[in-house]
Amino acid sequence: MSSPAPSSAFPVSPAPRGGLVRELALIAAGLVLLSFVIRIHWMADFAVFFILVLSFDLLYGYMGHLSFGHMLYFGAGAYGAALWLVYGNASALIALGVGMAVAAAMAALWGGIVLRTHGASFALINMAFNEIGHFLVQSPLAAYTLGEDGLSCSADPLFGVISLHEDRWAFVFTGSMLLAVYALLRVLTRSPFGILVRSIRENESRVQFLGYDTFRFKWVTFVIASTIAALAGALFTLVQGFVSPRVISPFGNVDVIFAVLIGGAGHLGGALIGAAVFLAIKNFLPVMIPELSRWLDVKLPQWELWLGIVLLVIVFSLRGGIVGTLRARWRKSRAVEAGA
Amino acid sequence: MADLITTSALTKRFHGLTAVQAVDFHVREGETTGVIGPNGSGKTTLFHLLSGFFPPTAGEIRFCGEPITALPPHRRVALGIARTFQLVSVFSSLTVWENAVLAVLRIQPEGAAPARFFLRSCRHPAVLERCAEALERVGLTAQASLPVAELSYGDKRMLEIGITLALRPRLLLLDEPLAGLSDHEIARVVKLIGEIRRQFTVVIIEHKISKILELVERLSVMNEGRLICEGSPAEVLSDPRVRECYWGKEAPAC
Repeated sequence: MSSPAPSSAFPVSPAPRGGLVRELALIAAGLVLLSFVIRIHWMADFAVFFILVLSFDLLYGYMGHLSFGHMLYFGAGAYGAALWLVYGNASALIALGVGMAVAAAMAALWGGIVLRTHGASFALINMAFNEIGHFLVQSPLAAYTLGEDGLSCSADPLFGVISLHEDRWAFVFTGSMLLAVYALLRVLTRSPFGILVRSIRENESRVQFLGYDTFRFKWVTFVIASTIAALAGALFTLVQGFVSPRVISPFGNVDVIFAVLIGGAGHLGGALIGAAVFLAIKNFLPVMIPELSRWLDVKLPQWELWLGIVLLVIVFSLRGGIVGTLRARWRKSRAVEAGA
Repeated sequence: MADLITTSALTKRFHGLTAVQAVDFHVREGETTGVIGPNGSGKTTLFHLLSGFFPPTAGEIRFCGEPITALPPHRRVALGIARTFQLVSVFSSLTVWENAVLAVLRIQPEGAAPARFFLRSCRHPAVLERCAEALERVGLTAQASLPVAELSYGDKRMLEIGITLALRPRLLLLDEPLAGLSDHEIARVVKLIGEIRRQFTVVIIEHKISKILELVERLSVMNEGRLICEGSPAEVLSDPRVRECYWGKEAPAC
């Protein structure tokens, strides 16, 4: 039976059909265009970073929980997949599933603890867990992880033909996973669950007085965000064929936080744009600056300074990040037009 | 009429301060009750205790005869206790209709299905229909697509009442619904309360006593954490204890 349509006087219309397909097509087109501009060897790494940033945006941008320990789940996914490939079998898909399952189980357990804290305590207790994970793979578990030396691993080709060690196939597979993650998060964030998560960000106590057990929904969000981060980590392992403690280092959180802040927290498109801008700064400036220095015959500062300048500009003039600021300006101009 | 909610010896202490002291309070089903008293008399603390904002230090709360003293707020909402706040509490980062979504889905069958709650668009026609109903009731249909931050304070108050009503409560607790409103906005809210009191059991905390006298069947007066007087508005307002707590002791006649 079809649902009744809201009154014609109600100024909110049902979601237009095809929006998700258009956005996925746009992202796919962007990735393909990017693959012509930069070396395709980098594209799988970029797609992995995009997935990681999207997962962090769900946790921080949408739910307002800033974590300094998100790399724990990226690392759990990466090491889970690598250990399966080395000590289990060489199936890429099973390794992917094992990496995600390990991280999901960890998030389900730790989530019950860390989500009882808020604000700075939440950020720091997550970092503490991240540090513990970093230490575990370096030393107590070194017999399996080979500690600082890292662990080499190799997966059989997917379906017997698709080798993830080939740049083109690695790009296609990780790009497809990125599209799947984007689709899942878009559906989730535009559902009543998405509104609930945004409401928790603003006033968790008030949400309880609407009849919702906020702790349960925060836990679900934390587990989803962590599992997606683990997917990114497992993909990293499959593509690189190597993991080291660097993948679980808490320092990696800084890159993810910068990317979300640059693009605009709480907007999936903003997370992708922020990740792209961050990668451009991080990967191209170190190459461009020496070239530019030679061309101008002036010694220019290192790329980290330019990243700092970009962040200062965003903090002071684009407080909602690139997408957040553009949306705010668009809304303002619409309001002015409506008032005129 | 049977009692919908009762408290016995309800007490709340904050370190050295006793905000609510041994209060025996009851609300009959279908009745509209006003709770009045000077600033700091414990009215809002009583609401916080009834709604589960914090637990009492001592005493018991029963709803429909069942003890609810230890229940968290969301469980009390499920039983039918909903409230508004002294300072308007709506979600400013959301639009008006998005504020209504969570309330209407809380009591809708489609909201109870986890898959739909997680995976169906909140702009599904069935959801929008419910939001439209909730907002129409408080006269906010035209503003539905606006961010809440752009609403006037009076409209925010109407929205808060609207989303609370959308929970279809058995007991509605309104904490100073007229505070901070202009005369025009007060008239709107008083008219709305006049309409809804026929459908819900309502308890109102209010300082503007004259505005709610026609709405309430019973008044309860609190002073220094104690419930000092209960009865019809006429009885209560002529009670010397009430006059004393508002205007002090009358000078003895010469």
